Amino acid sequence: MTGESAQDRDELAGEYVLGTLSFEQRIEVQRRLPDEPELRAAVDAWERRLLELTDLAEPQQPSAQLWPRIERSLERLTVSKPLTSWWNLLPLWRGLSAAGLAATLILGTLLLTQTAPKPSYLVVLVAPQDKAPGWVIQASDSREIQLIPLGVVEVPADKALEFWTKADGWSGPVSLGLVKPGQALSVPLDKLPPLQPNQLFELTLEGASGSPIGKPTGPIQAIGRAVKVL
Amino acid sequence: MPLAESVFDYEARLAACARGERAALRDLYVQEGPRLLGVAKRLVRDTALAEDVVHEAFIKIWNGAAGFDPARGSARGWMFSVTRHLALNQLRRQSRETPFSEEHEAAAPDELADVHSARIHRCLEQLEPQRRSCILHAYVDGYSHAQISARLDTPLGTVKAWIKRSLNALRECMG
Repeated sequence: MTGESAQDRDELAGEYVLGTLSFEQRIEVQRRLPDEPELRAAVDAWERRLLELTDLAEPQQPSAQLWPRIERSLERLTVSKPLTSWWNLLPLWRGLSAAGLAATLILGTLLLTQTAPKPSYLVVLVAPQDKAPGWVIQASDSREIQLIPLGVVEVPADKALEFWTKADGWSGPVSLGLVKPGQALSVPLDKLPPLQPNQLFELTLEGASGSPIGKPTGPIQAIGRAVKVL
Repeated sequence: MPLAESVFDYEARLAACARGERAALRDLYVQEGPRLLGVAKRLVRDTALAEDVVHEAFIKIWNGAAGFDPARGSARGWMFSVTRHLALNQLRRQSRETPFSEEHEAAAPDELADVHSARIHRCLEQLEPQRRSCILHAYVDGYSHAQISARLDTPLGTVKAWIKRSLNALRECMG
């Protein structure tokens, strides 16, 4: 952010840790933290300064159900996330490097033949119940996609739509971020493998700051699979 | 029964979580579950909601164990931060419009009379009593500026200024 002095940043960090920021301000700080080491350092320093004050809250014995509930949730995570994550799957990367080679050849051919770029993948996201189309995803290359709404969707004030994708062979869905209803969204895919045919995309209804566990937890609002455009 | 914090190796347990050892998470739960629940309960003011927060916190601790950076602070401190921020998100989200509730038992400033050697308490004692209770109401009880203003019967602008200055004073005092 421009125009923010070290003093401003430290005050923001202090009030964030203290707890006096509004919900919107909190979400904004949490959005900035991964990318801003100075803000992170200021927050960490305040966490250390104030930590001892947690002693003022009287400890409370958890109910007997709490640990089993945590275990069940971990169980579900483990099922969808085996210890060898998809990053470590050799066959996947072999396949992807073959696909990468193919893509290079195709792009090379495109460059040589001066063909204008056109969408290489299309996805129509439909509502799971009535199959009404709600969004279209188009990708003119495999590094960025656009999510385009076909209408306006009502989302409750305390909820948000979260955008997910999962290709065959991946261990679980990966979040592509939160979606504002009625607005187009461009998503760079630089941290993901290139798009694949049949890759799954979906939008789920999550809490206002997105799924707390990094996996879809809410009902699916729209779902579709990628189709290669020839 | 929790071990003394100085004996229990939080960092080793967290590293074991990162390797997928479920028993290590269980150790952390036995060690800090009651204190984390106490912190969450004080903030969200509801036992079921507080258990939801601790549930979410332990999943986050499990998933985040591999990414934990000891250079940023202690593993124990991180567990409390994770839990507090989940509780605060919940609190701020649900109570955007909730009026101040009188029934909630507030952190009385005399809780400081407990024997606390920690530097934070010595620094807090240097603040004027009202400013000190602003900090405690915010951090321990999760009160918003408006709730503190109502509780202390002090204008909102004054409360905001007190908090800002108290934080500056605490930073000076603690380094």
